[in-house]
Amino acid sequence: MTELMMIALCVLLAYALYIAVQCTRKDLDTGNHVDAGRNLPTWTYVFAASGIVVSSLGLPDHLRLLSFYGLQSNQLVLSLTIAALTGALFQRRLTIASRTIGVGTAGELFGAYFQSTTIRLYLLAVTSLFAVFFAAHALTDAGMLLSATTGNLPVAPAIAAIAFFLFLFSAIGGWRAVIYVTAALSALVLVLMIFITGFSAEAFDRLAALSVSGIARPEGIQTDTIPGVIQLVAGIGKEPPHGGLWTTAAGASFAIATIGIVLSPGFSFLGLTTRTRLGFAFSQVWILAALATGTLLLLGPVIGAEMAASAPSAPTVPADSSFVPLVGRLARADQLVAAFFIVMLIASLLIAVSFFAVSGASIFTIELVDRYLVRDMTGSRRRLAARIANATIFFMAAVLASFLPIITAILSSLTLSLSAQLLPAFLGLCWIRWISRRAVIAGLIVGSLLVIFTEPPGLVLFDGLLVQLPWGRWPLTIHSAAWGLAFNIATCLVVSLWTRDDLERRHRDQLHEVYLRDHRIAFGGRAARAAKWSLPLLWAFFALGPGAILGNTFFSRPIFINRDAVLGAPSLWVWQIMFWVAGVLLAWWLAYRVRLSIVDTSSVGTSVLTDKTWNAGSSRQPEWIELSLARLTRRETMARQVKASP
Amino acid sequence: MSEPEMRELDRHSLVMTSWLCWGFVAAGSFSYGFGAGGVAFVTCGFLVILAGFVVHIIINAVHGSYFTAGELALGLVAYGVALVGFGLALLFSQDFARRQFLPVSLGLIIVPAVVLFYMIIHFGIRRTFASFDVIRRFRPE
Repeated sequence: MTELMMIALCVLLAYALYIAVQCTRKDLDTGNHVDAGRNLPTWTYVFAASGIVVSSLGLPDHLRLLSFYGLQSNQLVLSLTIAALTGALFQRRLTIASRTIGVGTAGELFGAYFQSTTIRLYLLAVTSLFAVFFAAHALTDAGMLLSATTGNLPVAPAIAAIAFFLFLFSAIGGWRAVIYVTAALSALVLVLMIFITGFSAEAFDRLAALSVSGIARPEGIQTDTIPGVIQLVAGIGKEPPHGGLWTTAAGASFAIATIGIVLSPGFSFLGLTTRTRLGFAFSQVWILAALATGTLLLLGPVIGAEMAASAPSAPTVPADSSFVPLVGRLARADQLVAAFFIVMLIASLLIAVSFFAVSGASIFTIELVDRYLVRDMTGSRRRLAARIANATIFFMAAVLASFLPIITAILSSLTLSLSAQLLPAFLGLCWIRWISRRAVIAGLIVGSLLVIFTEPPGLVLFDGLLVQLPWGRWPLTIHSAAWGLAFNIATCLVVSLWTRDDLERRHRDQLHEVYLRDHRIAFGGRAARAAKWSLPLLWAFFALGPGAILGNTFFSRPIFINRDAVLGAPSLWVWQIMFWVAGVLLAWWLAYRVRLSIVDTSSVGTSVLTDKTWNAGSSRQPEWIELSLARLTRRETMARQVKASP
Repeated sequence: MSEPEMRELDRHSLVMTSWLCWGFVAAGSFSYGFGAGGVAFVTCGFLVILAGFVVHIIINAVHGSYFTAGELALGLVAYGVALVGFGLALLFSQDFARRQFLPVSLGLIIVPAVVLFYMIIHFGIRRTFASFDVIRRFRPE
């Protein structure tokens, strides 16, 4: 099987290299290496965006959780619909703002709108977390998976090989090739997931594992029900929740962390470099909310049940090696399909690694190198800078993944939650004009502190240096993203009360005037407006929030009759499927009917917020960088002159 | 990159992506079908190839283009290799010949039949015949 898996991975390598070479041969404008000329085709966004969201959640992690916690962790899949709705809320206006102001990255956009270097730096910090630590964590997973299933390949060479392959094709083809390959891998993962589940149904006694015995029950875990609305426990590492981790509070707050993927600078960069009219809506509604959510919601438990059924004994924790028994079982039925199962898992991880590493390299090139270090670069120098940034990021990710996997895992746990803290900034840029720079920064500081102290980095650091904190990770089974965002929004609102009409208001108003004048969204009358904000909240309450607890018994023990109904499937699963369908309808209504995601950039011209008079957002090279660079380059020039002289 | 070149690159990448997905699924279906899976999975493999062909046609229609020379050559080579492989398997494996002759030979007939059907719809009978009329092509003007 190892040989077959290597051949399948080599096919992917050959495909990626072929696409990269095609891109670099056809696109002779070397400057486009960084951002594909901001002209990516719609179909790439359609597949790539959904693939990125799914792979950021972590397909192998999700299957592991399913095989251990059962349907309570299947709740997490519904957070993909929240990601789709968040995309619908922001992507369109972000694109319009970027075209109106004439900038190409989220950092530049927020810098220009809020006139703030701090927010730009925060975005760069989040970018580096995604590009290095998050990518390194996914790289560790991919390497360990490859090593565990081949049996004789050590983890470090596996990681190095994967990192080199990803660097090679991205360095050749640039951003365009990366997105083409990301789109292709996303489609491949989706197709293979459907195929492998169908194959399992045929080869393994027609889904007996799920339909007859259910997902195996580790001791103390409620696999078919949600273990409460909230649990008053101190958090992971201090006090284990009873019946499983995924209470409704955990599920809903995890959905808030999922927002962090859509708000990440890399994801915004993808949206801003796409030429699109209907691509956003199609991707959010039909691919992410409908296809990806549906596939994971319906087929994930099948694979999870087979994983649990294949394990020799009931696991006590969701282990990294929990795929191995299922792979062995698949290989006994057909070696190639077993190889494809591993390829599917690895491909889903490669999406996250390549996308976040290369988007990070592009953003650093535009926002740091192009802006502060080497001004007015030519196309080929820009490409060289991007390749150097790319190589640096992949090297750091590979080293961290190989030699410091625990530190990488600890630091990458912050990524999504810190990215989710950008929500008030996005709301300010796209919808609420009175959210001021100072309010956003204050909120970011408070929110980030809360995130850090409800995740391992803060806890480990504080416990090690000072005193033991009374709480652990995710206290009260609430995800760190939700803790951070609650305090972030509260701070933002309080500060906005005093700063809503500050001197910068007129500057911010310019962009909102453009929205109102040229891109107005008809929300309708009073009732229609109320429906548009209340229906998503109602859906979230019942699908992910406290109302989801009703799903435990809603269909198996209906409230108006005194006996149990025989469904043939757990009540919770039916509840989740029902709200998946409702979520698709909701996303369709908002994205298409309300036109939240329909972009018409034909009337957009670069017109506002383009003044470079304010210091923070201007592309002025700081004096100390200018002097340092001058000193270095002068020394090099002098050395060359000395060498050349007889 | 000019607009037509970009459209061609987009189309080509989309076609390659489509065949990458269908190819993996078809390979898995054939692998299991030739083993324990039996006729159902072999049929499934051929259906997947036909689905890939239909998607390719749709992509061509959306982009207002036709199969490129490279794609045609690749398709013909793949079909030729499949034919040779089928012939060799029949010669060297009695079990394969007994169990798989009918489904595979039917599949290998149906695939070009569908291609021919598409060409007739797309070009009409005269132009379809003309595209195979080698004698006329080499006749002196």
